[in-house]
Amino acid sequence: MLLLFETPGGFALFKVLDEGKLSKVEDLGKEFSSPDSARKVVKLKAFSKFENTAEALEAATKIIESSTSKGLRKFLRANCDGEMLGVADSKLGNAIKDKLKIECVHNNSVMELMRGVRSQLTELISGLATQDLAPMSLGLSHSLSRYKLKFSPDKVDTMIIQAIGLLDDLDKELNTYAMRVREWYGWHFPELAKIIQDNIHYAKVVKLMGCRDNAAKLDFSEILTEEVEAELKEAAVISMGSDVSDVDLMNIKELCDQVLSLSEYRAQLYDYLKSRMNTIAPNLTALVGELVGARLIAHGGSLLNLAKQPGSTIQILGAEKALFRALKTKHATPKYGLLYHASLVGQAPPKMKGKISRSLAAKSALAIRYDALGDSQDDSMGVENRLKLEARLRNLEGKELGRSAGSAKGKPKIEAYDKDRKKGAGGLITPAKTYNPSADAVLGQTPDSTTRKFEVESLSAEEPAKEAPASGKEKKEKTKKKKKTDEETTVPGERNGTAEQDGKGEAKKKKKHQAENDGVQNKDENAEEGGKKKKKRKHSEAEQEESEMPSKKKEKKKKRKNED
Amino acid sequence: MRPSMSRGLAADHGRGASRTHNNAGRGGRNNAGRGGRGGGAFRAQNIAGRGLGVRGRGRGGGRGGASGRGGMRGGNKAVIIPHRHEGVFIAKSKDDALVTKSMVPGDSVYNEKRISVQNEDGAKVEYRVWNPFRSKLGAAIQEGIDNIWIAPGARVLYLGAASGTSVSHVSDIVGPTGVVYAVEFSQRSGRDLVNMAKKRANVIPIIEDARHPSKYRMLVGMVDVIFSDVAQPDQARILALNAAYFLKTGGHFVLSIKANCIDSTLPCRQSIR
Repeated sequence: MLLLFETPGGFALFKVLDEGKLSKVEDLGKEFSSPDSARKVVKLKAFSKFENTAEALEAATKIIESSTSKGLRKFLRANCDGEMLGVADSKLGNAIKDKLKIECVHNNSVMELMRGVRSQLTELISGLATQDLAPMSLGLSHSLSRYKLKFSPDKVDTMIIQAIGLLDDLDKELNTYAMRVREWYGWHFPELAKIIQDNIHYAKVVKLMGCRDNAAKLDFSEILTEEVEAELKEAAVISMGSDVSDVDLMNIKELCDQVLSLSEYRAQLYDYLKSRMNTIAPNLTALVGELVGARLIAHGGSLLNLAKQPGSTIQILGAEKALFRALKTKHATPKYGLLYHASLVGQAPPKMKGKISRSLAAKSALAIRYDALGDSQDDSMGVENRLKLEARLRNLEGKELGRSAGSAKGKPKIEAYDKDRKKGAGGLITPAKTYNPSADAVLGQTPDSTTRKFEVESLSAEEPAKEAPASGKEKKEKTKKKKKTDEETTVPGERNGTAEQDGKGEAKKKKKHQAENDGVQNKDENAEEGGKKKKKRKHSEAEQEESEMPSKKKEKKKKRKNED
Repeated sequence: MRPSMSRGLAADHGRGASRTHNNAGRGGRNNAGRGGRGGGAFRAQNIAGRGLGVRGRGRGGGRGGASGRGGMRGGNKAVIIPHRHEGVFIAKSKDDALVTKSMVPGDSVYNEKRISVQNEDGAKVEYRVWNPFRSKLGAAIQEGIDNIWIAPGARVLYLGAASGTSVSHVSDIVGPTGVVYAVEFSQRSGRDLVNMAKKRANVIPIIEDARHPSKYRMLVGMVDVIFSDVAQPDQARILALNAAYFLKTGGHFVLSIKANCIDSTLPCRQSIR
């Protein structure tokens, strides 16, 4: 009887020398206690080594599925003639019987034999020492695990992280070299640095020209435009730079070569990055673009790590310094981080940037999770979400336009709650209560008519009521912000944008019942505020009236300020 | 009924978690520390068989539980003394900690604290702290288990390796001369396991079902110890099957029993019986 034994190094076929011992299964174990006695029971008949890990992996996967691989079949056909074959797996035995017509057996004695052989493996197979077996086993297990975990080399985000890092490095290097070329060549032809602004063109020109005396004879039309070329030729004649020898020019030219080749490589790398991004994270790419997507992944450490972050984190990834500073000093936190460079945020008007940034962050969080943990490869989800976001942007812009155009029916213009909108001069808690004649002309409204309308419609009054205390609060905020404007080094327009956007956002988004509650509350607050204002201002007016009037005044003031 | 418990509650137990049956005669004590791995606290009994090395094990920390380790802050000077078990050490400082000698200095597998010590010939040796709330084996050693059978140079078959946090410590103990065959069926944990195994040459990751040892017979040789932490109702059968394939004659096994897993309706004493 023969015994088929699989090792990480290859297949082994053992011949059972003494079949009588098989009947006493319990004693079999003792037989294998020492290598010599083991050799008396079984002898190695044939051993087929795996050529490489690929073959070993194939064989291993077939074993797991209880089927035969080609190598195994060949091995058995060559060596197993007519005898019974003991196998460790009855299903495998059936498969062998079907394919090769070899009788297979699987029972306790076979298992005991296997145990024995396994314990004395290195002794029985002379060519295989323990130290050989261990790395083979390790290598095979890793390849098998990778196969099982469906490790695909395409979906490795390490490539992206390295590529984007290299891109940044290349940019820095390119800039450094280009500056060096300018400086170096400037010794010979200083005017050229001012004439040609682009680094690559400069390098090309220097490479072509060499000594500035050649400028007149050469044709620069592929590199430069007509006027620049003319300027160049002119300047070459009257240049004040000193002469340089050919050897020096040669070195300068070599540096130019470097610059040009680096810039070519950078372009190539960018293409590579784009293609990788589309393979690894197609939905994210569809939403924010390749570069921003790659930066997000690099910032998060890995795609999987990034997938664990909530949308709010993704919104301000990259602005951590500003974020924590704002949290510590209890200011408004930044509205965008890396996401600022996404095209959707770029094409939004400044007041909408914050909103779009937030929506974009939410959708990209979904896209990232879909890419990292989902199975499909297409970007349909990303494209769909992008369309939704664009629609939302149009919607928002439409609302803005509608509002600034004014109300059609001549009703009082109901100001949306805008707590952060700048009203009144900075430094004052309340704006100076001077009579502003231009406020009369706005919508042909008189203070009296508005007041009456407020008393009648309690519900509709919620919004203007809201804004009164809001205006109070925001005035305080405004002063704080004005005081600390110097410290601000955040993204330009951030603060101002926050103020206005948030206010308008709140106005739009509040649901009716919520708004009503606020309305009720605000009315109480309004009474209070009105009282305060009464103390401060010079002349007295009706309470409600006053809340409407200053808001109008403030609006006018704000408009004037914006114009400035 | 399986009591549900949220993760991260492991922190409210001190390290010397409440002890149950102090079986002086048997010399073993059990840990009733609560773990985070989705189950409630339970008490285990120490069962028979010194020769077999079966130890009913309390539920040590599961994954995701916050570390209860408040004492080991950075900058502490610690003295390392060897533990009764070979390959395991104790770091004595303000707080005592169970540590193993790291096979990959400078690397933390699950964000555990590391202690760097300079020994006589000036070489820096790094030790990794073994969190008993996250590792059942760590908890057992802390509670004074008699014999873990895992020693330097041993070959260990670890069933139920999960993400490899305990496996990394076992790998530290057995050292470069020993081997740890880590079997784990889940894909997500398997990924972490493979990543951990990439750095340690003595861990062989096997992403297979432990119920069918014939599937990974090609990768595993004979082992000295089987450590089983599979938490399945038929775990005894799984262990027996694996032992029949891979455990050497005269080998040992260590089994971790979760009473809820055996039969959630029976009282735990009966499950362990």
